[in-house]
Amino acid sequence: MKDLVFALPILLPLLTAIVALLAGRRRWRRWLIGLSATAQLGVALVLAHGAYGQPPQVLGLGGWAAPYGIVLVIDLLAAIMLALGALTALAAILFGYAELPPEDENPLRLPLIQFLVTGINLAFCTADLFNLFVAFEVMLIASYALLTLEADDWDIKQAFPYLALNLVGSTLFLVAAGLTYGMFGSLNFAQIAERADALAGTPQLTLLALLFLTVFGMKAGVFPLFYWLPNSYPILPSPVAALYAGMLTKVGVYVLLRIFGQVLPPDLSLPHLLMAWLAAATMIFGVLGAVSRNFIRGILSFHILSQIGYMVLAIGLFTPYALAAAIFYIIHHIVVKSTLFLVGGTVVVLNRTDDLEKTGRLWLATPVLGVIFLLQALSLAGIPPLSGFWGKYMIIVEGLRQQEWVLVFCALLAGVLTLFSMLKIWNGAFWAAAAKEGVHTEERRWRPMAAVAGGMTVISLGIGFGAEFFLGVAHEAARQLLDRPAYIEFLLRGGG
Amino acid sequence: MKTGDSYIFRAVGSFLFFVINVFAVYLLLRGHNLPGGGFIGGLGSALSLIMLSLAFGVREAQKVLRVDPTRLAAIGLLLAVVTGMLPLVVGEPFLRHFHWKLEELPLLGTLEVGTPLIFDIGIFLVVVGVTAKMIFVLFRSISGLTALNPSEWRRYAADLEEPVEREHSRSSSELETEDEP
Repeated sequence: MKDLVFALPILLPLLTAIVALLAGRRRWRRWLIGLSATAQLGVALVLAHGAYGQPPQVLGLGGWAAPYGIVLVIDLLAAIMLALGALTALAAILFGYAELPPEDENPLRLPLIQFLVTGINLAFCTADLFNLFVAFEVMLIASYALLTLEADDWDIKQAFPYLALNLVGSTLFLVAAGLTYGMFGSLNFAQIAERADALAGTPQLTLLALLFLTVFGMKAGVFPLFYWLPNSYPILPSPVAALYAGMLTKVGVYVLLRIFGQVLPPDLSLPHLLMAWLAAATMIFGVLGAVSRNFIRGILSFHILSQIGYMVLAIGLFTPYALAAAIFYIIHHIVVKSTLFLVGGTVVVLNRTDDLEKTGRLWLATPVLGVIFLLQALSLAGIPPLSGFWGKYMIIVEGLRQQEWVLVFCALLAGVLTLFSMLKIWNGAFWAAAAKEGVHTEERRWRPMAAVAGGMTVISLGIGFGAEFFLGVAHEAARQLLDRPAYIEFLLRGGG
Repeated sequence: MKTGDSYIFRAVGSFLFFVINVFAVYLLLRGHNLPGGGFIGGLGSALSLIMLSLAFGVREAQKVLRVDPTRLAAIGLLLAVVTGMLPLVVGEPFLRHFHWKLEELPLLGTLEVGTPLIFDIGIFLVVVGVTAKMIFVLFRSISGLTALNPSEWRRYAADLEEPVEREHSRSSSELETEDEP
């Protein structure tokens, strides 16, 4: 029974995807996928509850034990990520149901979303470097397909950098995996961690760490390798964009946390320093890109990068407190970011466009949507007591403690510019009078769409007001992550 | 692109088709303990479909495969995943496989069978399905056909959509029309 529960985060979306693919375009398919997405969220929450304060759960695939077989490990951090992924996927799926009637939706979209979730979940659970590569490939191939599924010529041109850069990233990942195997004779996380301690401080290990930083930094969208992201996300249909914005780059951040926090030894000052400074550059360039854009999804896409900067900065500062801050920031960011994309999708339905020159009058037409947007935008900018404030506060406190004045200044500056670009959306879409086509409130579907966004906002408010609880969870997850001896001991000798 | 105008190629191709597929099945059965298995067998089988597309044209190749390649891949994946899940029912870990040795069978003698074969058949179908899907789309695009045939169009496209080829050219005259198979 235990094995079944721990395999469920991967098996459930995979089976759902297959059944949905075989079902073609039947009507009951939506119920099936909706129920499955809800069940996935339930399973993830149960796993997170079980992982709190407990040693990680190990599942050896095929009955092979840790150093030889591939193992799935679910600790608190992985369980939190699974829950967030399931939540975002559920919101995206429900939003999609509200947005389009079943016959107008591409029948491949829902199966592909489930395949994407399978890949994401496998990346969260795995404790093997090559299996992680496989998980990335499953995730990326599903994401390539979703990106171009409903695309026209222009969209495909925008999607090309996404494909090209991710292919380069995958190749580098393979190189890094080969190098790791050459150095340690193993791809198992625990065994790498055990053997890496002996190499601490040598140039080989620094080189490997830099290679990992390049590969996963690229997936996370860290400066200067973020070019694939900001142009490709706006071509996605809004619910899929919300899922991408919430999860895909965060998989990269999660792996950075896992590799640098747990697998590699903690005394890698050069890669950590480099990570922190790249993060600062990501923040500033991301938010400047956002300021330069003039349509909602474009602004939000650049904001993903800017926010990634905060998380990676926290990893670069590399203290238990900073890693807890990064984990809390991920929890906050995934919910807020995907909600903002859902609000953007609702604006597209109401105004027929999200070009800020042509949108307007939404505050008069739908104050509710305005409140949802305002809460999430201010949270993104880090206004207390909303959820974004706590993450930023912790990161800045840690930066001040380490006397990194320039990094702290960059973080504060990015916060101010975030507020500025959010006000740009507010002015253009909600406050401005000039809506070229008027507001189409007669479209009934905007109400359920706004309801999904509202539900996510309630969760985000919960994170902000219940920050103490979530900070406790983040500290516990960071503690488990940094407890390398226990992880090695448990996986290689005591596990499962 | 003009295909199917070489008599020699067609004559040899229709014979080779069987040889390649027999070899593909041989690779499939040989797998697990020896080099071979579902993946490489599936690639071999897909190779035979490429050859048919070159010799007889893509429509003939699609008629030979009969089933929708996407469905074939989905069924294969289902087979593989369900085989992996069966041990969970009896309390064993996911993907655990079992072997049996059957002795003194008529004609065959001693035979070792195991669940990895079912898993491999699933992989075989996935590989054939996915590869066939890709090569059919590529061959159709160079033959001036739409990427999806009418039955696939019904199944995998939304009502509002229009083939991207038609969207691009805005005149359906460039595209050959195609009847239901």
